[in-house]
Amino acid sequence: MVPSVRTAERKPAIAAGAPRSADAPSVEHFERIVDEFQRRLYGFALRMTGNREDAEEIVQDAFVRAFRALGKMSEEQRRELRLQPWLYTITLNVTRNRLRSKRPTNVALDALADPDALLNNTQEGPEQPEQIVERGTDLALVEQALLQLPMHLRAAATLRFIEGRSHPEIAEILNQPIGTVKSHVHRAVRILRRILGPQVGRIASTEEPANALQ
Amino acid sequence: MRCSDVEALWDEMRSGGEAGDEHVLAHLRRCKDCQYSYEQFEGVAYCLNCLPTVEPPQSLVPRILEHVRSLRNHFRSTHADGFGRVPSPLGALLLAWRDTGVSFVGIDRGEDDETARTFIERRLRRPVRNAPPPQWVVDAVNRFFSTWQVDVSRIDISELSPFERAALMKAAQIPPGEVRSYGWIAREIGHPQAARAVGQVMARNPVALFFPCHRVVDASGALHNYGYGIELKARILKMEGYKRA
Repeated sequence: MVPSVRTAERKPAIAAGAPRSADAPSVEHFERIVDEFQRRLYGFALRMTGNREDAEEIVQDAFVRAFRALGKMSEEQRRELRLQPWLYTITLNVTRNRLRSKRPTNVALDALADPDALLNNTQEGPEQPEQIVERGTDLALVEQALLQLPMHLRAAATLRFIEGRSHPEIAEILNQPIGTVKSHVHRAVRILRRILGPQVGRIASTEEPANALQ
Repeated sequence: MRCSDVEALWDEMRSGGEAGDEHVLAHLRRCKDCQYSYEQFEGVAYCLNCLPTVEPPQSLVPRILEHVRSLRNHFRSTHADGFGRVPSPLGALLLAWRDTGVSFVGIDRGEDDETARTFIERRLRRPVRNAPPPQWVVDAVNRFFSTWQVDVSRIDISELSPFERAALMKAAQIPPGEVRSYGWIAREIGHPQAARAVGQVMARNPVALFFPCHRVVDASGALHNYGYGIELKARILKMEGYKRA
């Protein structure tokens, strides 16, 4: 609708979080909402599950839920809605349900038992986590370490360090007090430090950051 | 400052927050353990940050939009109740309706459309849109004021809880010009302890008049309360033929 919308999409994830329209989110503008948030939610779901297909289905499911929920809201409710944290929350809930029911066959978790499985399991198609793994085994270790965290700590660490969200926004997404969020972030880092051990220093000196540091 | 105090501030230090103050820095300079730990913290944060951003497949957005479009067609026909005003012996009534029946009845207190819409939306917890009332809605109002009877099959309270629905349906069985107590409804619907809960259901009744919450009074027979004022409750009962006031 607004000409600036097109260019806003191309900005990096963090900058795109800013509100850009006075309109309350609605089912009428849903395509714009999908367009704006799909990358971020996909990235989040991918880090949470370690699995590309799961992430795709989670994001699709999350948007459909969001659409249904928006359709049932009054305009007043929609105007008060904080879209971005709300969408993250929905994505997280879908992820949680999915991992709970899929646990025994989850590829990512299988790979934890046998790290080579993840390396050898190449599929066709563009940009898969498996290919990323081939590019750098060190980063594969980081990915796997993240997947070993309990769900709530993984969510806190992913939102903080990969998605670059602030403590108050994470608190809103997870529906927890800020103090709890900070302590979860800390516990997550402490566990990752233990898993990754001395490799932390090596990775930090050889890799370039992919996401803008906040 | 203790190590544990400092550790709690690392995340903020890393993002350039206020925590990078003199006391923390002084502690860091002194404490080798904390220096090591902070480096490790930063290292882990950096590692996570290095994980590449993975683009979703191009097929994702079309797939989502296709799914959503099929839902949208469904929504168009069903999601917004109409609302409007219908004249009555009590003055204008505010009503909302959907295909399946009247979903809201209230007394118009002269509010503007926007206020009325917000009020109804808050009560129904779903969107409504301003529209001319269809003839069957006007007929339902006229029928009520000529017979004081209501055809409950043309009222839609399907989104209320089973308890709320049971209490309102029971109230609809009270004959015009008579009253019953909250406790009577509670007993009749099999929750003898729930007189107060019944009172709350009556207070939130979205379909006033048609579900005659004005015929429900407290155990002593006092009119107790009414959303549009106790005087109106007395007036409606008198119009219906209720003798004792």
